[in-house]
Amino acid sequence: MHRQSTTRSNGIDRRSVLAAGVAGLATATSGCIDRVESAVGQETDRLSLSITTVPADGDREAVRIARHLEEHLEAVGIDASLDMRSRSNFLEAVLIDHEFDLYVGRHPADYDPDFLYETLHSAYANESGWQNPLGFSSMPVDGHLEAQRRVDGERRRERIATLLEGLAEEKPFDPICFPEEHRVVRTDRVDGWNADHPESRHGYLGLEPSEDVDRLRVLVTDARISRNLNPLSATLREQGSTIDLLYDSLATEHDGELVPWLAEDWETTTIEETEIEETEDDDAITRATVTLREDCRFHDDEPVTADDVAFTYRFLEDTALGRAEFTSPAPRYRSHVSTLEDVTVESDRELRLEFSAGYEAAERALTVPVLPEHRWREQVDARAENTETFTAMQGQWGLVTMDNVPAVGSGPFRFESRSEREHLTLERYDDHFTRREDVDLPSVEIERLQFGIDPGSASSIERVANDGADLTASMLEAHALDTIPDEPEIDYLESPSQTFYHVGFNARIEPFSNPHARRLVAGLLDKAWLVEEVFDGHATPTATPLPEEWVPERLTWDGDDPITPFFGSDGDLDVEAARDAFEDTGYRYDDHGRLRL
Amino acid sequence: MYAEVLTRVLTQVAVVVGILLLTSIALFVGRGRLVTTAREWRSRLQATAPAVAVLAAVLGLNRVVRWRGDEIEGAIGFHMTETFYDLEGEFVLLFQSIATEELTAYFSFIYVYGYAFLLIFPGIAYFALSDTRTFRRLLTAYSLNYVLGLAFYLLVIAYGPRNVMPEELTVTMLYDNSPEYQHLTREVNRNTNVFPSLHTSLAATVGVFAYITRSSYPYWFPVAAVLAASVAVSTMYLGIHWAIDVVAGLVLAGVCVRLSGVLVGRQPVARFRRYLDRRPTPRDDRE
Repeated sequence: MHRQSTTRSNGIDRRSVLAAGVAGLATATSGCIDRVESAVGQETDRLSLSITTVPADGDREAVRIARHLEEHLEAVGIDASLDMRSRSNFLEAVLIDHEFDLYVGRHPADYDPDFLYETLHSAYANESGWQNPLGFSSMPVDGHLEAQRRVDGERRRERIATLLEGLAEEKPFDPICFPEEHRVVRTDRVDGWNADHPESRHGYLGLEPSEDVDRLRVLVTDARISRNLNPLSATLREQGSTIDLLYDSLATEHDGELVPWLAEDWETTTIEETEIEETEDDDAITRATVTLREDCRFHDDEPVTADDVAFTYRFLEDTALGRAEFTSPAPRYRSHVSTLEDVTVESDRELRLEFSAGYEAAERALTVPVLPEHRWREQVDARAENTETFTAMQGQWGLVTMDNVPAVGSGPFRFESRSEREHLTLERYDDHFTRREDVDLPSVEIERLQFGIDPGSASSIERVANDGADLTASMLEAHALDTIPDEPEIDYLESPSQTFYHVGFNARIEPFSNPHARRLVAGLLDKAWLVEEVFDGHATPTATPLPEEWVPERLTWDGDDPITPFFGSDGDLDVEAARDAFEDTGYRYDDHGRLRL
Repeated sequence: MYAEVLTRVLTQVAVVVGILLLTSIALFVGRGRLVTTAREWRSRLQATAPAVAVLAAVLGLNRVVRWRGDEIEGAIGFHMTETFYDLEGEFVLLFQSIATEELTAYFSFIYVYGYAFLLIFPGIAYFALSDTRTFRRLLTAYSLNYVLGLAFYLLVIAYGPRNVMPEELTVTMLYDNSPEYQHLTREVNRNTNVFPSLHTSLAATVGVFAYITRSSYPYWFPVAAVLAASVAVSTMYLGIHWAIDVVAGLVLAGVCVRLSGVLVGRQPVARFRRYLDRRPTPRDDRE
């Protein structure tokens, strides 16, 4: 097995470095010389790129991918550097400010492929938030993204296959791998694990605490949940279950399917396939009638009504509720509600919804958190009155960035207390429908969830082993997995992940406004090697952002990326081949082997 | 549950450092000085009160700013991780080539326990000297280290080597080998505060003072020198600081020791006494 050695120029095929000439070697090994020269102003047109990522404290695997990429960019004559940001600053740079050349990160994805619409549709290129942070725009891809929403079943699968092929060619971002999610739990205080993903609503249902156990001690590595509970915040959360526990949605995903949650039931009717062709863009394709469960209440004892649901949809489309000069769509859930064309409140518990999409894509709208109208409308009013010219800057204004503590939802747990950087404690909401006899869902038995912040995977595992905690809720980092002790009361949960590591390119600026540049850089990543070396094999390399079941034959992983294979093997870059490819694409090298812009 | 771990680690540190302190007091300070100190402690305390108060205030400020520092940093700080990495490359990995299990254990011990001991012991040793100037200078130098260090922390946003080169540092990385210390260091610092290394600057400050006072404490000087050097190396060995941070720490130590000599006068007791005499009812005399 090839091991990564410690000098910077290693990991690059020595022979090919020599072949690429002494000048190339000089570039690959010494950043200082470039700096000096550029300071004198002689090399202003050299291509230089900054890779934005989080430090090892935030995501050790991401840093290692970033360094792998940095080393290979340097080897092909690009002045590459790392730009390290804390988790929230990283998301701010990428999602809000769009200040990056390329970044390495993990995308939260979603249970349904339609999250790609949000991530890539050109209509969102100028918005801040999770909607199209890459500034990507492509007519064909827009077409594929739209087409897949309008149909269901086998036809949708075909259209998604076409979409994936388009993405593999254009590479708005390069997916690297799906990590395995690992967690450890203690089984001596609380039992009933294993049934469901621990980071979902169902994960905390049906747990069986021993008699004297009043709280579940959960560890998370990310301190942001102790600072902010705003369901709309783009930068303070990419995944995790706290919002799902505090807020209800109409339906919730369980084992890949949507099941009733706050809605007792819903019925959808979708028009015939043949008729779909004749519809206009915003004509209704799917109609749904949703009935809420009886007598549900928010944590402040106000009833949850169909009006709250309708308000939530309107609010996500425009968080300023029409009071600002421009609409201000939420920096989250953007595509969830974009197929929704009409909402009619029939009664306190009944709504009719019309979607310009097939039921598969349409039903994502049922998974957004239902917000209490009385609280959020009040917030908008207060902010609109206090300012003379109310602007509500999209994705960044006070309402979508405020900490929202205490959060008031209608979910199975309610806010109890928090201490910044230390813990967030939720208590069971006894009026929640999951506690009712006649609801066909496992009940919440545990009285309290105490999310303690523990910054390290290794120290989290140690605390569970020492009976200082019951569960590590954050996904454990691959490097720490071999420290999990083999003891009878410690159990080990493993699940596949829908999240994927990827390199994102900023298509707004040079050089990544050009798809060829994106493809060339994708060829510098040895995904198979990264999975072996960085993830110790605890990940699945991929050429697509969707799991296997959606992937067409042509894009299946065959030991290397089928469209943009790595220039080299076993993590060693074939510098000559890579440089040739850059030259073939029209890039030029100067006398020192440096890539010119 | 967070507090439990912290309390456990803190207790452990307190016990170990306590034992080290008692042993060193017996070895280096000696009975004679303790007897005199027992007699004169009141007047020494009066003479040194201003320096103690300043240090306490600085430590308080330090705590507040470090906890709330991210907002200030966000506004005025510069991202420097890449600059440091570009300048020195993988220099700190040099220590990886000599890494052994024993050395890792030694440097981890030094970084946590040795450092705490190294900072506290001179305080006791110099308080036990009849001339309070060294004690006042030491505390002033500590205060300066914190104030100047803090200013740099707000200006420079940088992550240490362990955050940039995690894979090469897995063998010695402090928090992988002894995760419990993460709770301790997290309590006093943030991971973007690396430039300069305050571990180095404070340890070097103690080293220089040990040299200055070698006629009073001849055996302390070699001990302090070895400990101070070990602390500086440990920060790089454990992947916490860049070599640049350590060099900056040494420079900061030099500046602080020099400044403390300028700022702290020779005869504060006499002046302080005269000042007290002029006041009709000195508050400190009430009891």
